[in-house]
Amino acid sequence: MPRIFFIKVGQNYIIIMSAAPGSAMDSLSAALKCNIIPNQEYLLQGSVLDQYVEVLLHRLRGLCDNVDSGPESFHDHELSFALRAQGSGAAPMVLPLRVRRALDSPESPWQLRYVGQQELGDKNRPTVVRSSIDMACSSTIVEFLTELGCRMDFEYIARGYMFRKGRMKITVSKIFKMGNMNTKPGEGVEPISQSYLVELSVLAPTGQDAIAEDMRIFAEQLRPLVQLEKIDYKRLGNMS
Amino acid sequence: MPYSVNISVEAPIENQIHEITYDGTEIYQPPLSLSESLSKYAQKIDFSKTSEVEVKKEFSETTEDNKLEADSKETFQSNLWPWDTVRNKLRSALQEVCVLADVLAIAKDKRYMVLDPVQQEPLETKSMAQIYARKKALSGAANVLLTGAERLKTSQTEAARNRTVPDFHIELLRLRQNWRLKKVSNTIIGDLSYRTAGSKYIQTGTFEVSKTEEDEKPATPPSSPSPLSTGPVVPKTNTALKVSIPSELKGVAYIEVLCRKDQDDLCSANINLLGNGHTTTHPDMHWQQKLEAAQNVLFCKELFNQLAKEAVQLQAPIPHMVVGNQIMATVLPGIQLIIGLRHSTNVEKKPANSGKTEHDHVLEHSLHQLLREVHHKNTHHPFPHPATGPLGPSKKRMCAGPMAADRYELLEMTKTETLLEQIIKQAQHFFMRMRTEYVLDTIAKEVKDPLISSHWNTLNSPTQSCVKINISTHGYDALCRTPLVIHVGEKTLKCICRDGKVMYMSYEPQELRDLVFCHINQHQILAVQALAKTMGWQSLANSNHLGTGAVEPLGNASSCLLASPTGDRIIAVRCEPQSGVQVSVAHSPRTDFFPSRLVTERKWEHLGGQFRDVRLEKMEGRNFLHKMELLMASLTSNS
Repeated sequence: MPRIFFIKVGQNYIIIMSAAPGSAMDSLSAALKCNIIPNQEYLLQGSVLDQYVEVLLHRLRGLCDNVDSGPESFHDHELSFALRAQGSGAAPMVLPLRVRRALDSPESPWQLRYVGQQELGDKNRPTVVRSSIDMACSSTIVEFLTELGCRMDFEYIARGYMFRKGRMKITVSKIFKMGNMNTKPGEGVEPISQSYLVELSVLAPTGQDAIAEDMRIFAEQLRPLVQLEKIDYKRLGNMS
Repeated sequence: MPYSVNISVEAPIENQIHEITYDGTEIYQPPLSLSESLSKYAQKIDFSKTSEVEVKKEFSETTEDNKLEADSKETFQSNLWPWDTVRNKLRSALQEVCVLADVLAIAKDKRYMVLDPVQQEPLETKSMAQIYARKKALSGAANVLLTGAERLKTSQTEAARNRTVPDFHIELLRLRQNWRLKKVSNTIIGDLSYRTAGSKYIQTGTFEVSKTEEDEKPATPPSSPSPLSTGPVVPKTNTALKVSIPSELKGVAYIEVLCRKDQDDLCSANINLLGNGHTTTHPDMHWQQKLEAAQNVLFCKELFNQLAKEAVQLQAPIPHMVVGNQIMATVLPGIQLIIGLRHSTNVEKKPANSGKTEHDHVLEHSLHQLLREVHHKNTHHPFPHPATGPLGPSKKRMCAGPMAADRYELLEMTKTETLLEQIIKQAQHFFMRMRTEYVLDTIAKEVKDPLISSHWNTLNSPTQSCVKINISTHGYDALCRTPLVIHVGEKTLKCICRDGKVMYMSYEPQELRDLVFCHINQHQILAVQALAKTMGWQSLANSNHLGTGAVEPLGNASSCLLASPTGDRIIAVRCEPQSGVQVSVAHSPRTDFFPSRLVTERKWEHLGGQFRDVRLEKMEGRNFLHKMELLMASLTSNS
């Protein structure tokens, strides 16, 4: 029976599922201290209308590395789970967890990912910084999370292209609503909007803020086509 | 003139340039206001001229007075205000008109003045003078045309001459098409390193681009006599562009690979992108060649640096040695691989042993390929699936968690073969292949009776190749054939025998030789049996590993016993790897019988008789099987 641990790192939590708690926790905390775990995600987001996405892809092909073989496409299915626990205060503590799988390469492992709240850092910081911990897992993760008490909030399908420029990863993806599960895969999905989501992200260990500057410069180069910005989700939440 | 062209000349719409600053910006004059431009144009009207002409034509008498008047008026002109001249001219015109009116009034009265028409003499038109005038005018026009044509011609030749001396900017454009350039303050810096292709070598490959100075060009010819004595004269190329390369990248470099066996060279490969080193560092070399040479130097340095680093780190049973610009590694016992970096900055230094060395283009190619593969891997990381995964880890690594990979598997994933290990493996394979080839060729030369043919697969990898050996007898190919397949690896040989047995052999060539000889014997025995079957003979016994007889130095003798169709004759064949084939014949009963005290009756002779050796070498027949066929035939017919 595996044991599950929640470790608080900053304002975020790490879940450890381990059979031998002592050794795993020791080595993990040692690794965390050495800053070798890429647990920070630097992120910029934007969107582009469907009719201009070709232009953006063209520009990205010109800017990014190794696109001689064409852009890499992806087709992922993401499920978002939340673990609600009664915290010490009145507000319930919500731990979001995301499960993602690649529909176009079934042999790839599934991915469990924890994405934290964005850090309330410097306003002048060019990108959103949030903690992100991901791990590969098998397809039984959904059952496992359900057993654990997680509830699925929503799910969607993302389909698009990804590019690489040095350590930066750029994804241009269309988000689809999940239709009726009974229909065949590929059918019964409808796009959520008339635009593509563009994300520029880097996973890096803590304290590598220099990469954010590189990202800003890269985002500048895409400027007229797509505006990549820090998006504050809290403010969006208030708006709705 | 039949071809007249209308040329319209217009003032440009833009304003006049007032001043050009040093940075090139042009300061325009502000445009004139409407009243200003009107006064400007009014100033330009030349009233005097038109009035003069008019007056001259109509009133020739009054002109002189008028002119005087106009002149006197003009002297009083003062530029007090813009309309001053206009006013003055209008006033003088009014005066003239008034005078004219007075004159006309007087003349009309006819009391004081009478106007008589004056008979003007018609101008004498001298035809000759006209011709001369026309001639002169024509010649003038012709002169203008001729000088124009001359000027066009010279400008064209000038342009043609200029084409050989290319423009700096055009050259820069060409340079930019092939090399990375950037501008740092006032200098143009280029980069010839392989960093963008994935290299992680520390040394930078920057070069500076500058314009060739005009006074440098005539200075080069005096320096040309010195290269004349050393090498072939490189045709002097005029370029407006000069690249300066750091001194450590100048010259010609190549990596020399030598395989040495007990101090004598077995083979060597001179790795040199520029061919055989004839392209030297000529001062007048074109920038493209200069940059390519420098890039080659950088590449060779990186390659050698990498190999040297690996040679020090690798834990080999016989440690690799790195001495100066040379790496020594033991490939197989007694055979060493020597990789050296040769970098010569001047032309005179030629490799002295160039005559002795043999180029091995395969090894040359491999080393380059290996480093380029490393470069490629550095830049081509696999994309993660799903897309939110981290960049970097391979798919195998990503699967390690869900698939519960253990420590050993994870450690295996981190292992990568170093360049040196790979090149050593390739060299080992090269030797294994060479040895196998040699062994097979010598056996095929030594052994004529069963024919040994080997077919090398054309498709092979740098560390694995495959040869198929067929043992057959000439004229009896359909009867019996012994196939063998040998996989040549890095340090071992794998032989798949006719019966499906797999044998592994070491790098010692003797082992393969023994194996092939063993199979030759087996082939002979099997072929004899197959032949006997077709002849109606019976195979009584057959042993591949005969325990009797003298002990063989390698392997065992094999043998078989054959009985004639009627059963009265027996042939025994014994094949030994060393002494060859022995054939004995026994008759039962013997054709002649003499009763003795022990054997009294003839019937006992059916039990089998004595074997008598057949002297095969005296027999007729092309080869062993042919002889056996003849032997069996004769024994069958005798009965």
